[in-house]
Amino acid sequence: MGSMFRSEEVVLVQLFLPTAAAYTCVSQLGELGLVEFRDLNASVSAFQRRFVVDVRRCEELEKTFTFLQEEVRRAGLALPPPEGVLLAPPPRDLLRIQEETDRLAQELRDVRGNQQALRAQLHQLQLHSAVLGQGHGSQLAATHTDSPLERTPLLQSPGGLHQDLRVNFVAGAVEPHKAAALERLLWRACRGFLIASFRETEQQLEDPVTGEPATWMTFLISYWGEQIGQKIRKITDCFHCYVFPFAEQEEARHGALQQLQQQSHELQEVLGETERFLSQVLGRVQRLLPPWQVQIRKMKAVYLALNQCSVSTTHKCLIAEAWCATQDLPTLQQALQDSSSEAGVSAVVHRIPCRDMPPTLIRTNRFTASFQGIVDAYGVGRYQEVNPAPYTIITFPFLFAVMFGDVGHGLLMFLFALAMVLAENRPAVKTAQNEIWQTFFGGRYLLLLMGLFSVYTGFIYNECFSRATAIFPSGWSVAAMANQSGWSDAFLAQHPLLALDPNVTGVFLGPYPFGIDPIWSLAVNHLSFLNSFKMKMSVILGVTHMTFGVVLGVFNHLHFGQWHRLLLETLPELVFLLGLFGYLVFLIAYKWLRIMAAGAASAPSILIHFINMFLFSRSPTNQPLFPGQEVVQSTLVVLALAMVPVLLLGTPLFLRWQHRRHSRRRRQPNEDKTGLLDVPEASMASQGSDEEKAESPGDQEEVELVLSEVFMHQAIHTIEFCLGCISNTASYLRLWALSLAHAQLSEVLWAMVMRMGLSMGREMGVVAVVLVPIFAAFAVMTVAILLVMEGLSAFLHALRLHWVEFQNKFYSGTGYKLSPFAFAVEDE
Amino acid sequence: MLEGAELCFNVDHGYLEGLVRGCKAGLLTQQDYVNLVQCETLEDLKIHLQTMDYGNFLANQTSPLTVSTIDTEMRKKLCREFEYFRNHSLEPLSTFFTYMTCSYMIDNVILLMNGALQKKSVKEMLVKCHPLGRFTEMEAVNIAETPSELFNAILVETPLAPFFQDCMSENTLDELNIEILRNKLYKSYIEAFYKFCKNHGDVTAEIMCPILEFEADRRAFIITLNSFGTELSKEDRETLYPTCGKLYPEGLRLLAQAEDFEQMKRVADHYGVYKPLFEAVGDGSGAKTLEDVFYEREVQMNVLAFNRQFHYGVFYAYTKLKEQEMRNVVWIAECISQRHRAKINSYIPIL
Repeated sequence: MGSMFRSEEVVLVQLFLPTAAAYTCVSQLGELGLVEFRDLNASVSAFQRRFVVDVRRCEELEKTFTFLQEEVRRAGLALPPPEGVLLAPPPRDLLRIQEETDRLAQELRDVRGNQQALRAQLHQLQLHSAVLGQGHGSQLAATHTDSPLERTPLLQSPGGLHQDLRVNFVAGAVEPHKAAALERLLWRACRGFLIASFRETEQQLEDPVTGEPATWMTFLISYWGEQIGQKIRKITDCFHCYVFPFAEQEEARHGALQQLQQQSHELQEVLGETERFLSQVLGRVQRLLPPWQVQIRKMKAVYLALNQCSVSTTHKCLIAEAWCATQDLPTLQQALQDSSSEAGVSAVVHRIPCRDMPPTLIRTNRFTASFQGIVDAYGVGRYQEVNPAPYTIITFPFLFAVMFGDVGHGLLMFLFALAMVLAENRPAVKTAQNEIWQTFFGGRYLLLLMGLFSVYTGFIYNECFSRATAIFPSGWSVAAMANQSGWSDAFLAQHPLLALDPNVTGVFLGPYPFGIDPIWSLAVNHLSFLNSFKMKMSVILGVTHMTFGVVLGVFNHLHFGQWHRLLLETLPELVFLLGLFGYLVFLIAYKWLRIMAAGAASAPSILIHFINMFLFSRSPTNQPLFPGQEVVQSTLVVLALAMVPVLLLGTPLFLRWQHRRHSRRRRQPNEDKTGLLDVPEASMASQGSDEEKAESPGDQEEVELVLSEVFMHQAIHTIEFCLGCISNTASYLRLWALSLAHAQLSEVLWAMVMRMGLSMGREMGVVAVVLVPIFAAFAVMTVAILLVMEGLSAFLHALRLHWVEFQNKFYSGTGYKLSPFAFAVEDE
Repeated sequence: MLEGAELCFNVDHGYLEGLVRGCKAGLLTQQDYVNLVQCETLEDLKIHLQTMDYGNFLANQTSPLTVSTIDTEMRKKLCREFEYFRNHSLEPLSTFFTYMTCSYMIDNVILLMNGALQKKSVKEMLVKCHPLGRFTEMEAVNIAETPSELFNAILVETPLAPFFQDCMSENTLDELNIEILRNKLYKSYIEAFYKFCKNHGDVTAEIMCPILEFEADRRAFIITLNSFGTELSKEDRETLYPTCGKLYPEGLRLLAQAEDFEQMKRVADHYGVYKPLFEAVGDGSGAKTLEDVFYEREVQMNVLAFNRQFHYGVFYAYTKLKEQEMRNVVWIAECISQRHRAKINSYIPIL
């Protein structure tokens, strides 16, 4: 759990992998997922790398896999997910897999080709029989009878003269969307010399390629003259029509039709056989493909990782550089030894110093993951920076709950989250693909805590679905008040509003043991009381939260050894924040504790005091809270303002001084000693911190340049902090606003929906009937508006308070994550 | 058209404009070309192209990879994009797209007619046709014997029909006549397109008119250049010049009289736009040809078209730039496959 507070120590290691065992080593590392490889060949383009041939072979294979997968998918089958642990196959297996895949693909291609050819043939046969059979007979007859004028002379003529006027036919089928264009083109190209009739097929025919049923248009063109015939043929060709022989005699057509039908029967049988065989082949593919896919993907990943390694001068081993957590080094060593034992030469790991900032590694479990996610969404922390996530675990749900305080709503949320948590190991829940669901499911522990805290704050606000609960007896006694002031019946009748005076003995017995007294829910000044309370609470929480942020910065400075920042940054910041706003918190608390009901009439106003504090003035009507207040206030303001220049100039001036001292010290020794001195310092700086790196004594010129930047940076930081203190404190008032909005919304919902239903009728039956839909409406609106909508908005504001108001006090978030080379992710 | 395209352009065409600008961002940059030129084999080229916007467009090609497969696949990709634009367009952008396809359709028709003349099979010719200029009746072109028959029977329904009014004749279609037909068609096409853009007004006109003027003038120059030493008479030549360019009318008249390249160059010297282009043409090997210079100028104009918003010119410019890119890639691929690396750098970079 210690690693939660800051990221783990990560070191750059150099791996010497013997060439023979490199593959197994890297594949083993992939299974473990410990290290992140650094690309040592960044300057070499993708196709000039060492293992590009192997990668390309894997890609070839994947191409074939895609083909197989596509075929399986087209057959309407699904590939089962692979089972068991599949290691990356040894390189020699690639050949076997390749061979088998190729054979399978070839087989599949053949069968599929056969099937398609058969289908196309069948399709053509069907079209042909449709052309022959479908009504064209009668159509033809119709043309015969309809045009006796044209036909009669032809039949009666003694031949010879009109020999070339014989009527010929072209029959065929065309896709329906082309039919109109074809008809028009035919007419235009050979006007008057033909009669064309188009007709849709009655049955839908399966398209041989896509397998989708579609209707086709059959046509029969009768024409005169051979030249026209050629033209027609050309035109039908260009429209990709199927043209079939069309016998003129009815009987011949019948004969042909019967023959066709017989043929198509036979064909269908053959087709059935082919399809059976196809499904056998597909079954084999289904069984073999998924493991292969995983294996080859792993193999490709290994080769890609190997491509990032450089080759040693002797070609005996590959050198890889990788980031690895110090904690994992023994495991790494062991893994490398195990996997390279076969090769005889063992792989070696050793740490190398490095000046680059190492990646950030924070191990999470399923509980902390969502909180770490909140922080990472803002920015991945710098290496070894204080990680806000562990504090977020409590503060985030708490600040959320301050805005969402309601026992009922909190309980619903808690139960929902609890259900998710209890069911988290069920495969159905885990594998749900719905994106919204995944979001909720990923944050189930967050929701759980948010719900729990909401119940808690709900008890403090004393609200359960906007209704107050009286667990303890109220601290106020109306009876005592009535007795003491002697309210008569007439008085009561005249005054709808009665005031309880806590100064009267027996009326105010003492504070309510926990949270807000339920009697306030009856009071008309309920809202103004709560507003005052919640506003002050927001300021207190805000200042505490921000101060905590500034204090966390201390740990950063301590860890990185930047003592000067402790004194020159954190201290002034703390003084500024606490001197102004800490004092405000003090005033609030002081007034709560010291000003009693008796002195309520002359109670001093904190607001006026606070304004006067900055103006160095006093107002005569406003009593001081404590003696010597003005002196304290003036001191604090002066102190706080004095901290601004310290904050602004301290760090830059200190760095300049430090830099000068360094350079003076360096000038003293001889030239050749400089190198000796440099080495330990440089390595120390690189191990220490990256911040210091800019000022590391190695590069003098750079420091001069950086100095102006340091000034600039510090100026920005100062302005941001000082203004931020004011605006951020104001920003925390959103706690008050949101909690008010939530309380009011639930109040309105109760008053407008539920109470209406409850006051509907006096008889039992009526109420019961009416309450069912009313309660349904109430429940739906509670969930939709108060839980989901309000919950989202409160979540968003809590997020903002963490990112902007809390984390900018200490968290830079400029790091990058350690993304280890692991197969696990790729499996998913 | 309403003044101020800013107001209502995005309602109808905003999506497509955004899309085409995104596509334009995927054009190969100078750095990409530098990488491509380094490739040793076509497979390397493929790997490189895969890292760019082309994605795995060659993934399903069975090896060995040839230049023509690359070309075909790239064309297909452009065609897919274009079809997508076209299918999602509203008037008057769809008409604009139709105009854009017309030039390809003219080329295809002429190609098919030439093929028919040389008795090549239609299938063989179809492969060579540009996919953007495909239309259903296209393959029936070879049944026509005279231009008017061609018009009446086949092209009357296509968008090409209006361009035919000038070239109805009963001449048989021999090679010269086909070429004349092509140029006449193109002339009336480009004039019609120019008129369309002019009438559309607004930014579209401001962008498209110069591009089309340049296109017209380029054709005039090319026609002149190609007619040297042929039997085409000067009067006939003049009728082929598109009249919407900057050269019209004086320059075209002078151009019609030109008899060799020097005279043509003298004509160009009168125009500030074309003078530098002709000066850039060198002779000898390794020097730029007139065609290259024109291409460069075209690329320049098309890139500039992206500097303005709310106009249709971006679609035209994108298509042309993509075509240039395809020519570049094919050039590089040819150089690689023929191991002729000396000239590999004479592509025309776009960005």
